[in-house]
Amino acid sequence: MANAFIRWFDERVPGLAPVYRKHMTEYYAPKNFNLWYYFGSLALLVLVNQILTGIFLTMNYDPSATGAFDSVQYIMRDVEWGWLIRYMHTTGASLFFVVVFLHMFRGLLYGSYKKPRELVWVLGMLIFLALMAEAFMGYVLPWGNMSFWGAKVITSLFGTVPVIGKGLEQWIVGDYLPADATLNRFFALHVIALPLVLLLLVVLHLAALHEVGSNNPDGVDVKHGPKGNRWDPLKPADAIPFHPYYTVKDLVGVGVFLIVAAFIIFFAPTFGGWFLEHDNSIRANNLVTPAQIKPVWYFTAFYAIVRMVPSFAGTAVWGVIAMFGSIALLFALPWIDVGKVKSIRYRGTGYKVALTVFVISFFSLMLIGMDLTDTLFPKIFGSDIDITTWDNVFGRIMTVAYFGFFVFLWLYTHLGWEKTKPVPERVTTHD
Amino acid sequence: MANEVVDQGRRRFLTVTTAVVGGVGVVTAAVPFIKSWEPSARAKAAGAPVTQSLKKIESGQQLIVAWRSLPIFIVNRTSAQLAALPKQDPRLVDPTSTGTSAGQQPKYAQNETRSIKPEWLVMIGICTHLGCVPNYVGQMKPEPFDPNWQGGYYCPCHHSRYDMAGRVYKGVPAPKNMQIPPYHFVDETTVQIGVDPKGAA
Amino acid sequence: MTKRLISIVLLGLGLLAGSASAWAEGPELPAAGNNLRDQASLQRGAHLFFNYCVGCHSLKYLRYSRMAQDLGLTEQEVLKDLDFTGARFDDPVITHMPATVASKAFGKVPPDLSLEVSAKGADWVYAYLNSFYLDPKSPIGWNNTILPNAAMPFPLWKLQGEQTAVMGKDGKTVEKLQLSHPGEMTPAQYRQATRDLVNFLAYASEPAALQRRKYGVWVILFLVLFTFLAYLVKKEYWKDVH
Repeated sequence: MANAFIRWFDERVPGLAPVYRKHMTEYYAPKNFNLWYYFGSLALLVLVNQILTGIFLTMNYDPSATGAFDSVQYIMRDVEWGWLIRYMHTTGASLFFVVVFLHMFRGLLYGSYKKPRELVWVLGMLIFLALMAEAFMGYVLPWGNMSFWGAKVITSLFGTVPVIGKGLEQWIVGDYLPADATLNRFFALHVIALPLVLLLLVVLHLAALHEVGSNNPDGVDVKHGPKGNRWDPLKPADAIPFHPYYTVKDLVGVGVFLIVAAFIIFFAPTFGGWFLEHDNSIRANNLVTPAQIKPVWYFTAFYAIVRMVPSFAGTAVWGVIAMFGSIALLFALPWIDVGKVKSIRYRGTGYKVALTVFVISFFSLMLIGMDLTDTLFPKIFGSDIDITTWDNVFGRIMTVAYFGFFVFLWLYTHLGWEKTKPVPERVTTHD
Repeated sequence: MANEVVDQGRRRFLTVTTAVVGGVGVVTAAVPFIKSWEPSARAKAAGAPVTQSLKKIESGQQLIVAWRSLPIFIVNRTSAQLAALPKQDPRLVDPTSTGTSAGQQPKYAQNETRSIKPEWLVMIGICTHLGCVPNYVGQMKPEPFDPNWQGGYYCPCHHSRYDMAGRVYKGVPAPKNMQIPPYHFVDETTVQIGVDPKGAA
Repeated sequence: MTKRLISIVLLGLGLLAGSASAWAEGPELPAAGNNLRDQASLQRGAHLFFNYCVGCHSLKYLRYSRMAQDLGLTEQEVLKDLDFTGARFDDPVITHMPATVASKAFGKVPPDLSLEVSAKGADWVYAYLNSFYLDPKSPIGWNNTILPNAAMPFPLWKLQGEQTAVMGKDGKTVEKLQLSHPGEMTPAQYRQATRDLVNFLAYASEPAALQRRKYGVWVILFLVLFTFLAYLVKKEYWKDVH
């Protein structure tokens, strides 16, 4: 009977079945995907979760400055199962960034941003930008004290732009400081505008990928290898149909991911204050800044960069430029790194060292942004040290290291310093 | 690593089992979302029973209280109004409330006075036509809409008429007698609307 | 190589989680040691709250009926022993002291405590309740080492007794507190009482905490089963690939 329905549908929308075949059963992906290749489908899963739980939260949330905080407590206590829907949403938000960071890192490991996948990478970076905006606005909605002060600080970054800054900041905020107007417009953007943008970008991201085909951990183009596999004599020998092979494999990844997510949702929903910050249990108060004001953990590295670049010539805009620059450089990777060899497995030692330094710098910048160095450094180096100086020195070194990665990579690949290993003809599978 | 023979039976069994278990998971996961539409604790609190003292309601007077956002008419009916009730029966659509108005009151109010105690009318003041709140016209004197008016309710919207027990007259737009809510007497002079009497059906 | 990388990262995260916390920095706090699963403790804490705290502090996000349900109390018990404001059973817990009166008496309105433990942590609230001392220089006669110059007088002095401060060498910082006048409870009993009170406030911050762990066990068991089955399916289909 199901087949009869499919035939009825096919007669009326004949274009649909070929689309399904093109993107699922006849999309041939390299057969050597490893752990790093789970995070794309997981990101899609989290996106679906955010939308579903978000819709249900919107049913009971009050987007006014007077009612928002109370409405979140209403959801947590009075709405049947409201607490679960809310925790699924907040946990999903943080896990979204865990998954997306790891997904992007895969790109760095295997050169997934290189030709012909530059557009896939750029679209992905646009998703990342939209995601950051979406997360920032979402965090403002509970209108806790961190929500308010986070909104204040981030919008004031726009105020550092010379000449037009103050006007720009006020235009974004819609008032003299974050207030009802700000909350309402962030609500509209967070609930409708950015989700639509995200969905569109994700569709384009996948379409662009499927046009050129997936990369793989060896960075070897399967299309250049021998033709003919057991499903299709014309398709690459080292590729397999996405459905059913990667759908069932990704399902296992989904299972493991959900176990991790369930642990957090049911046993540690605030994750020690890192996913749901303690100061946000206090209502927004424009007269009292939280003692330990900091952005949510996924922004901390970029925020640390803002803090580390000093003001001069009467403006603090340099830190803001540096922060945007740190993301802009990621956009430009396909043109910074022009090395022919894609995968780290066959690249020069210099690349491996540089990437390690990059990872260390990113984590270190996170430590600074999270104010963890304030307790860590005295523990390691003695309680009488001047925290600010140590922070600045450490943070500035790490900022230089972060940017240095891109500078080094440009020189390394443009000036021919890289000495690569021989790349195999075909993918190597490790069973 | 060699091409083994595909055991389609095992493959189908495993796929179906996993799909069924997964399906159970999805359905179970949907339950909290569906249940979140149930009235919240706040809605239930607002809809909680309302207790009202009858002490200040004089004979012939009506008091309106709110219960679950509905207007509740509480009337201290006069003996004249009560005596007129049986005489209205021929003019009413369902004088015994056992016909088309069978579902409009709890069993303990399915009587001539549609109440627990004869003199106290406790009724949801919503016209059964299209939901307006009818006016209490308790005085038994001729009215423009009825020269033989024996007291009752007159709805301003489409002119439906009810007697002093909320029973609908023939020939008006409204189809049923006005609803009686669950209620009981806490003591001689106090009613609680929203809870049936103990032991009542 | 990837597996080693993951172990290193997980180890690092573990060390980090262990050493660093997201709580505001400050003096080392004693552990409150409260257990949300100890219902008797929650009930004792509730009694303490309604006897000593609700005179000034509200719990506006907590309903009496919810509290009864979660703490295993009957409606009768709640309305008789706990509700002194004549509130209805499903009303939230609101103090009877008007904000204007409180403002005049203390200089500020006593804050609502529904989310106090969420915001400050159980350890902080526990330390706070154990750190009041007599201070002749203070307008209300009391001070607190955890929240210096707080506007709050000490409501539990009958239970704990009175503490006085032993000043440090500079005469300005409090070195430690000592019990100069015993109260109705021994120090150990008082610590338990404040532990119970903090336990109740921790519950009030997040009533869902009592149920979520129970559901979590079942959800994770189910997911383990599902993942195992999915793994078997994967292995079966991937026989084609190898």
